[in-house]
Amino acid sequence: MKQENIRNFCIIAHIDHGKSTLADRILEKTGAITERELKSQMLDSMDIERERGITIKLNAVQLTYKHQDQEYYFHLIDTPGHVDFSYEVSRSLAACEGALLVVDAAQGVEAQTLANLYLAIDNNLTVIPVVNKIDLPNADIDKVITELENIGFSRDEIVLTSAKTGVGIDELLEAIIHKIPAPTGNSSSPLKALIFDSLFDAYRGVIISIRVVEGEVKVGDMIRMMETGAVYDVVGLSINTPKEKKVKTLKAGEVGYLYASIKSISDVLVGDTITLDNNPANMPLPGYKPMKPMVYCGLYPIESSKFEDLREALEKLKLNDASLTFEPETSKALGFGFRCGFLGLLHMEIIEERIEREFGIDLIATSPSVVYEVLLTDGSKTMVDSPTKMPKREVISKTLEPYVKTSIFTPSDYIGPIMELCQDKRGTFINMEYLDQTRVTIHYELPLSEIVYDFFDKLKSYSKGYASFDYELIGYKESNLVKMDILLNGEIVDALSVIVHKDFAYNRGKVVVEKLKEIIPRQMFEVPIQAAIGTHVIARTDIKALRKNVLAKCYGGDVTRKKKLLEKQKEGKKRMKQIGSVEVPQEAFLSILSTSEK
Amino acid sequence: MVKHGYIHIPFCKNICSYCDFCKLFYDTGYVCRYLEALKGEIETFYQGEPLTTIYVGGGTPSSLSLAELEQFFSIISVLQRDDDCEFSIEANFDSITVEKLELFKKYGVNRISFGLETTHSWILKKMNRTLDIEYVNYIISYCKKIGITNINVDLMYAFPGETLEEVEEDIDFILSLDVSHVSTYSLILEEHTKLYLDKENSISEELDAQMYELICSKLSNYYHYEISNFAKDDFYSQHNLCYWRNDQYYGFGLGASGYLKNIRYNNTRSITHYLQRSYHYDEETISDCDKIEYQVILNLRTKWGISKEEFFIRFDRQLADVYNYSKLVYDGYLIDNGNFVFIPEKYWYLSNEIIVRLLEECSYE
Repeated sequence: MKQENIRNFCIIAHIDHGKSTLADRILEKTGAITERELKSQMLDSMDIERERGITIKLNAVQLTYKHQDQEYYFHLIDTPGHVDFSYEVSRSLAACEGALLVVDAAQGVEAQTLANLYLAIDNNLTVIPVVNKIDLPNADIDKVITELENIGFSRDEIVLTSAKTGVGIDELLEAIIHKIPAPTGNSSSPLKALIFDSLFDAYRGVIISIRVVEGEVKVGDMIRMMETGAVYDVVGLSINTPKEKKVKTLKAGEVGYLYASIKSISDVLVGDTITLDNNPANMPLPGYKPMKPMVYCGLYPIESSKFEDLREALEKLKLNDASLTFEPETSKALGFGFRCGFLGLLHMEIIEERIEREFGIDLIATSPSVVYEVLLTDGSKTMVDSPTKMPKREVISKTLEPYVKTSIFTPSDYIGPIMELCQDKRGTFINMEYLDQTRVTIHYELPLSEIVYDFFDKLKSYSKGYASFDYELIGYKESNLVKMDILLNGEIVDALSVIVHKDFAYNRGKVVVEKLKEIIPRQMFEVPIQAAIGTHVIARTDIKALRKNVLAKCYGGDVTRKKKLLEKQKEGKKRMKQIGSVEVPQEAFLSILSTSEK
Repeated sequence: MVKHGYIHIPFCKNICSYCDFCKLFYDTGYVCRYLEALKGEIETFYQGEPLTTIYVGGGTPSSLSLAELEQFFSIISVLQRDDDCEFSIEANFDSITVEKLELFKKYGVNRISFGLETTHSWILKKMNRTLDIEYVNYIISYCKKIGITNINVDLMYAFPGETLEEVEEDIDFILSLDVSHVSTYSLILEEHTKLYLDKENSISEELDAQMYELICSKLSNYYHYEISNFAKDDFYSQHNLCYWRNDQYYGFGLGASGYLKNIRYNNTRSITHYLQRSYHYDEETISDCDKIEYQVILNLRTKWGISKEEFFIRFDRQLADVYNYSKLVYDGYLIDNGNFVFIPEKYWYLSNEIIVRLLEECSYE
C-alpha cells in the first residue's frame, strides 16, 4: 500500500442528514459490497442503531478505488452522530486527514453541523462540504450553498449529491482523492497508533480500532498502551473491507484492527496511544481525555431475584463501552440495584433499552441526576451523584452544579419562545449570532441538570421541530439546591427523591405529585402523595381508594374466560413494584422528570 | 364423579341489548331440530351418573311452547336424578304462563329463576325488554301456590344513566315479592352487544360501588353467600355452588360449557354445526396447577371461601404450602378461621385485587 495513495476520512453530519446512506453508497461505488449485499446502512450493525437511525459504535472500513490507473485506499471511519458521544467523534476525527461535512439539502446547516465542523477544524482536517439529498422535492440547494458560504466555504468546493439516487458520488470520490491529503507519518519511526474505538469479541477479547500515525506494528510485536501502561503481544491484525482481511503489518497512515488477547476493556482507552514496548515513542499522541459520565441514575430489576443477572448484563455491556460506569447501590424502596453513570441521556436510554431487550430484564430507572458539588461546613468537599447521597442541610455551606454552554441553532422566528424556555430553565444569555437573515445561533449558559430533563423535547416543540442544539461542559457554579423527597402513604420513597433548585421546588413538587397521581393506579386504600423538603411538605394530593375490581358474575360458562382475565391482571401487576403497601408502576420513577406544568 | 348438569336452551322471543350469551331468535322449526341434536349430545356424553343438580338455562327456556317443553323434558328424563335433586329452570315474565308452570311442576322442577332485571320502563326500553308488574306478582304467587317455593329473581344494576334511587326502588319491589333467592349483577358492557355498539358509557366506579353497598344493606335478611348472590335460610343455589366449589359438571346444548375429569370444554356457538352433531368447539386440558388456581379463584367468591380440608383432599397438599397468604391475612384482606380461608365481605367488591395477590404468592412447582 503506497502511503501517497491512502485517504483517511470520515463523514460528519447533523443527525438524519444522510450520513449512513452516503457511506453505503460509497461502499457500493467502490465495489466493497454489491447492491444485493447492501443491507441498508451497512455500517450500523446493532439493531438499536438501525431503529433509532443513529450510529452508536464506530466502524472503519477500507475501500479500494481505481482512478486514472492508480489504486487508492480509502479508509472510511464512521462516527457517532450525537452530542453524548462527542469525545468519541473527536477521536475518530483525529484518525483522519479529511472529513466530508454532509448537509441535508432541505434542512440546511444545523447545530451539530457546526459543532462537527469546528471539531474537524480543531483536528486540522481538510473538510469537503457535501450537500446531500438534492433529490428531495423540498430541497433548497441555493439556500444551503449560501449557508455554507456563510460559514466559510467557497461555492466551487461544495459537492452536490444524492446518496439515494447516486448522483454526484463519482465527483465526491474524485474530490476525496484530490482534496484530502495523504497521510504523512514515517514508518521507520517508533510506533504511535491512535486507539479510536474498541469492541469486545467473545473469542478474541478486546478488538481495538487503530490508526497508525508513526512507525509500524506487526503481528507478534509486544505493544504498550501509553496511558494505562498495559503490555500485550499482538495476536492478529486485520482490516475491514468490510469483510475481515488478515494482514501481517500496519504501517504509518493505515487504519485497521488489532487484537492481543485483551480481557479487560479498562486497559484500552479510546484516545490512548499504542507504542512498542521495546522501542517506545517518547510522547503519546495529543488529545487523550478520560471520559467522565455526566449523568447518573439508579437501575433496579423489577424482580429482585434478577439482581445478579443485571450485574452480568452491565458487565457485558461495559466490555464494549468503557464510558459506562456502575456500582451497587441499595434503595429502601427498590432493593438492590446499581448506580450507573452515562455520557448523556441518550446513552442512558440506549443502555436501558439494551438491558431490557437483549438480556430480558425488566428495569426501573430512577430519575437521572448530574454530579453536584457540595461544600460542607467543615471545609470539606463532596461530589453527589445521587439524591440519597445529599448531606443533611445543616452541614452544607454551599452547593454547586455543573453548567454547560449551549449553542442553539434555530430559524429566527422562534427566538422568542426559545429564549423564554432557556430563561425558565435558569439559563443565562450570552450572545446571539445571525448566520443569515433567517438563521441564528443563540448561546446560553444552562445548568446541566435542566438539559437532562426535558429540554430537548421542549426545544423541539417550541420551535416546531426546527431548532437543534449542542452543548459543552463549562464547569461548576454556585446554586441554591435542595433535596426534594416524595412520600407515598407517609413514607419517603428514596428512589423518587430529586435535587432541585430551591426557587423551582414548589412548582416541581406540585407537578410531580399530580403526575404520580395519574400514573399510580388506585389501591385498596386512599394513598396520600406528598412532596417535601426536609420535614416541610410543599405539595400534596391523594389517590382515592379503589372501589371496584371484581368479576361480578362467574358461572359455568364464564369460568375459563374469567380466569384468563385474572391472569391478565396478574401480568399487569408484575410490572409494578411494591413500595411499602403501595404498588407503583415502572413509569412512576421517570415521571419525576416531567416538568410540563403548562 | 360428576353430579351436576347444565342444559342450554338458546332461544329467545326478543334479544336484550346487553346480552352476550349464546342466543337465537325463537323459531319453531329450529327448536324441533335443536331438541333432536340435544338428545344426541346427551346420549353421546352422559355416563349415567345420578345428578344432584340440573339447571336449565338460556336464552329463555320459557320461550318454548308447551309441546316443545314436553318434548324437552322427556329428552332430559334420561338424566338420573338423586332423591333431593335440585332441578332449576330459567324463565322470563314475557313468556311464562301458568300452564308452563304446571308443566314444570309435573316434570319435577323445584326451583325457578326469573329474569326481572329492572322495573323502570326507560331502562326496560333500552334493554329491549318488557315487564308487567302485576303479572310478575301473579306468577310469583302462583309458583308458591303450586309448591315451587325456591324462587330466584335476577336484578341488574349500574345501567348507563341509572341512579341510586332507581336501584333502591327495584330492590324494594323484589323485597315485596318475598322470594327465597336474589341474584344481582352489575351490568358489564360486553363487546358484540347492542348496548356496547351504541357506545353507552359505564357509570362511575364510585356509583357502581355505592349501588352494590345499597343492595347488600337492603338485602340484610338474606345470606350474602356469594359476591352477587343472596339466599334466605338455606335456599342457596346448589347448582351454582358446584361452579364455585370447582366441581365437575356436564354442559349440554349450544354454547354450553362443561368440566369433566381434566377437561374444560366449550360447545360450539354455531347452530348449524350443532345441528350437524358437531358439539364440542374446544377442549382445554387442565393441569394440576390450573386446578389449584381454579379452586382458589372460584372458592373465594363465596362467604365460606377455601376449605383447607377439601383443598388437601383434592390436591394432597396444604393450602399454606402452595400459597403464602400470611401477609394477606395480616393486612386483613383474607381471614383464616382455622378451617377456611375467605375474603371478608367488605372486600368482595375488590376481590380480584386480593385473588391476584394470592396467586402471585404461589410456590407450586
